[in-house]
Amino acid sequence: MLEKLKRFNYVMFFSMLVLIAIGTIAIHSAGNARTEEVFHNMWVNNLTTAVFGLAVYLAIAFTNYRKILDFLALPGYVGAIVMLVAVLIFGSTIYGGRRWLWFFQPSEISKLAVISLMAWLFGAQSERPRTNFKWFMYSLALIGLPAALILAEPDLGTTLTLIPACIVILFVAGVWRRGLMTLILASVIAAGAVLSAVWEAEKPGVSEERRAAILKYVPLKAHQVKRVRVFLFPEEDQLGAGYNLRQALISIGSGGMTGKGIGKGETNHLKYLPQAISMNDFIFCVWAEETGFIGSLTLLLLFGAIVVPGCWTAFFATDVSGRLLAIGVSTLIFAHVYVNIAMSIGLVPITGLPLPFISSGRTFLVTVMAALGLVQSVSVHREENIR
Amino acid sequence: MKRFDKESLTADVACIVLGVLFVICLAVLAVRLKEVQVKDTADYRYAYSRQAVRRVQLAGERGRILSRNGEVLAGNRKAVSIVCDAADFQKKTWKATVESIQKAIKEVALLIGAEQEIGERSIKRHVNQSLAMPLAVWSDVDHAVLARFLENEDKIKGFSVVVSEERVYPYGAVASHLIGYVGRDRAEAVAGDEKFNFFHPEMRGRSGVEHYYDSYLKGVPGESKLLVDARGFAIEENVVIEPRPGPDLTLSIDMKVQLAAEKELRGEKGACVVMDPRNGEILAMVSQPGYNLNSFVPGISHDLYDRYVNDPGKPLLNRAAGGSYAPGSIFKPVVALAGLKLGYPYAEKYECTGVYTLGKMHIRCANRWGHGPLDMPEAIMKSCNPYFCNLGMDIGTNAIVKAAHELGLGEKTGIDFGLDSSGVIPVADWKMRTYGEKWFMGDLAQMSIGQGMLLVSPLQMARMVGAIGTGYLVTPKLLPEAETIRRKVDFPKNALKVVREGMRRVVDGGTGKRAGKDLAVELCGKTGTAEIGKGEMRRKNTWFIAYAPRENPTVALAIIIENGDSGGGTAAPKARNILAAIFGERSAE
Repeated sequence: MLEKLKRFNYVMFFSMLVLIAIGTIAIHSAGNARTEEVFHNMWVNNLTTAVFGLAVYLAIAFTNYRKILDFLALPGYVGAIVMLVAVLIFGSTIYGGRRWLWFFQPSEISKLAVISLMAWLFGAQSERPRTNFKWFMYSLALIGLPAALILAEPDLGTTLTLIPACIVILFVAGVWRRGLMTLILASVIAAGAVLSAVWEAEKPGVSEERRAAILKYVPLKAHQVKRVRVFLFPEEDQLGAGYNLRQALISIGSGGMTGKGIGKGETNHLKYLPQAISMNDFIFCVWAEETGFIGSLTLLLLFGAIVVPGCWTAFFATDVSGRLLAIGVSTLIFAHVYVNIAMSIGLVPITGLPLPFISSGRTFLVTVMAALGLVQSVSVHREENIR
Repeated sequence: MKRFDKESLTADVACIVLGVLFVICLAVLAVRLKEVQVKDTADYRYAYSRQAVRRVQLAGERGRILSRNGEVLAGNRKAVSIVCDAADFQKKTWKATVESIQKAIKEVALLIGAEQEIGERSIKRHVNQSLAMPLAVWSDVDHAVLARFLENEDKIKGFSVVVSEERVYPYGAVASHLIGYVGRDRAEAVAGDEKFNFFHPEMRGRSGVEHYYDSYLKGVPGESKLLVDARGFAIEENVVIEPRPGPDLTLSIDMKVQLAAEKELRGEKGACVVMDPRNGEILAMVSQPGYNLNSFVPGISHDLYDRYVNDPGKPLLNRAAGGSYAPGSIFKPVVALAGLKLGYPYAEKYECTGVYTLGKMHIRCANRWGHGPLDMPEAIMKSCNPYFCNLGMDIGTNAIVKAAHELGLGEKTGIDFGLDSSGVIPVADWKMRTYGEKWFMGDLAQMSIGQGMLLVSPLQMARMVGAIGTGYLVTPKLLPEAETIRRKVDFPKNALKVVREGMRRVVDGGTGKRAGKDLAVELCGKTGTAEIGKGEMRRKNTWFIAYAPRENPTVALAIIIENGDSGGGTAAPKARNILAAIFGERSAE
């Protein structure tokens, strides 16, 4: 046990705890600004969830991840697929997406399920390494199925964070790297092409016919085109589609160097910051307004203190599945952090995505804590090479 | 143990590269955050205050108008309004919000027993345009309504009492034309100032002294800032600059004299001006018919205003300063002075036969049998028409016009007041311009007795008679502290003496003897009966002008009664009563 505690990554652990504390404060601020009484006690919910999450975290951290993967990777994946199908049929619709099944969001759990399955699949010792083209196609199918189901909810944000994590896993696992690189290049070019097409169609002075003609070839829905347009032309339509970005920027920017004080976020309390998402996708704005640049920089450093030790853990992992777990989870968390913060300061288009440990949302909090528990387990059990 | 094959090495490098990539990406976020939160923070703070802060201009209390002895002619009273705060009735939709406000107003109306003053349209407009401001539901409520509101205050949510200023004129219709009235308007923004989102309208002068001294009387507007939420409801209000009241304005008006003059003119059509000829201070100014100033507060109804405008008696016209009348015989002192200036032999007698004949024109004298031989003072005393026609013919138009201008006729008096009629002193050019006719000798004859195309205002006549009494022409003024502007009139000393002697005799035994009856002061005066219109429309405007005492006069007075009998019979007794209010009655001996 002493050995285990020695290998326990305390930087990662305490950064997580501080982030959860920050999240609770931010949820308190965002919840108090809401008119509905229900939200005033949201921070308590968050805290109890965090206590539960912590138990899960520690249990996972001190259990050998190899055992966990062997027992749970495949059933977890199958279970996640079943739930994803179920949510499409029975789920309740909130804010335009069918995401909720009873009290949790299957899409959040499925991210960890996919990463675990990949780690288990490519980490298992077999006679022939699973790195050829055939396995590349298998893994594309295994990732594609849940990704398609999540997209169908629709939940573009979750899909977008799952893809980089999976790409990194496949790359590190060494699955048909040449093809993978080509695919990455192709998707970058495709994304560039979509952006330029929207630019061409939406720039000022383009006739309605020409706009429609261009957009016909763009594989985005109307509301997604709108978000890309806001990203490309933030100065326009600040009361319409650009309202959210504008208000997010005003919240963050008006915070200044030291912020307005905890609980004193004016834009939040006067409801200029969109209330429906201030506790979730826009929680960073609440924190940044109240604590200023110092607070947001602290937040970035804390996230850095989780994802960089994650890479560190992957580097020192003694087997492939441990390495894949650590790198996959770190990439997943990083993708959430980066996209969430970058969208609220206009660096990427707005998309619905929670900020790990900070946003209110029980399923997601428990999921990321469990995922981080797996990384911790990789760190703790790296020397126990039994397979 | 780690495996060191080629595959594994690439993976090791990938882990490190990824870690570095994470750090770089987080650094990019930090750089952008620094730009937003540090470099551009002022812009975003401004953007925040633009959308969340509404500037409200607060009205300053208007200064009072006082008489010379401190009586309040125009003051302010507290008006209590019951207002509704829309924020307490907010619902998901605007329609529901309007409905809930409407419902609440109905309930409160029942509780306080007031009629519902504003309808759905006003509520909608308020919600659309000035949501952050309180909605005035019942303005200027009476004590009973206020008492019921306060009794039920704990039952009434979202309504409160707001106190504001309302103009009040304690004397009502007295000196209404002089004081004038106010309307409501937004205060002028200080130059270069940002726009205000909302404003409380302040009182602005619309006529009379209220208008002329508006910029002096008006309060200094203040400013408050309203914090509004994303829907536009007010969250809190901070008064940034307290509004300050405007200063009081003391007029030269003496209420004792003013009220006496009001009393004399009540029920008549006419005007009266009483002035201190030494410095030009207006002691009283009356124009009848008038109107009650309080009917203009807080705003006059269209019906009443139309009635005022269409009234043939023209109650809105200030006859004292803006009226133009034919002077009639009160112009004769001017003609006399014009003659005396040219050295006309005043002691030489002229034989009055009761008519003055000029070609086909016959100008009759008041005494149809003729006054017989008379000199100038006697001619003034008896107001003899033929004498002055003869005199006018002798000295010519230019001399009379020059004398009239010397006495301030035909030009604005320069009073600090909006309306100031210049009247008309006709000359050949003027007649050609106006009527396209040449100047005939008949015009000169008419002018010599104050008839024809001559027009003067009562204010001008008070000024003129004062100048005869003192030898100085003053510019009338309404503020005692204002500088006295006066000039010596250019007539030989003897000339003034002769005219004064004539005007003394007018009162002592001439046409105006009723003006001096039982008065504690001796005065000089002149009557006038100007005939206007022809045939059925023939009417007489009766004048009396006077100054008193005879030596070093302190009061100059001009009074005109429209459609009177004669200057001596109609106007002179009224002048006497006004002077009695100043100097007192002579005790019976």
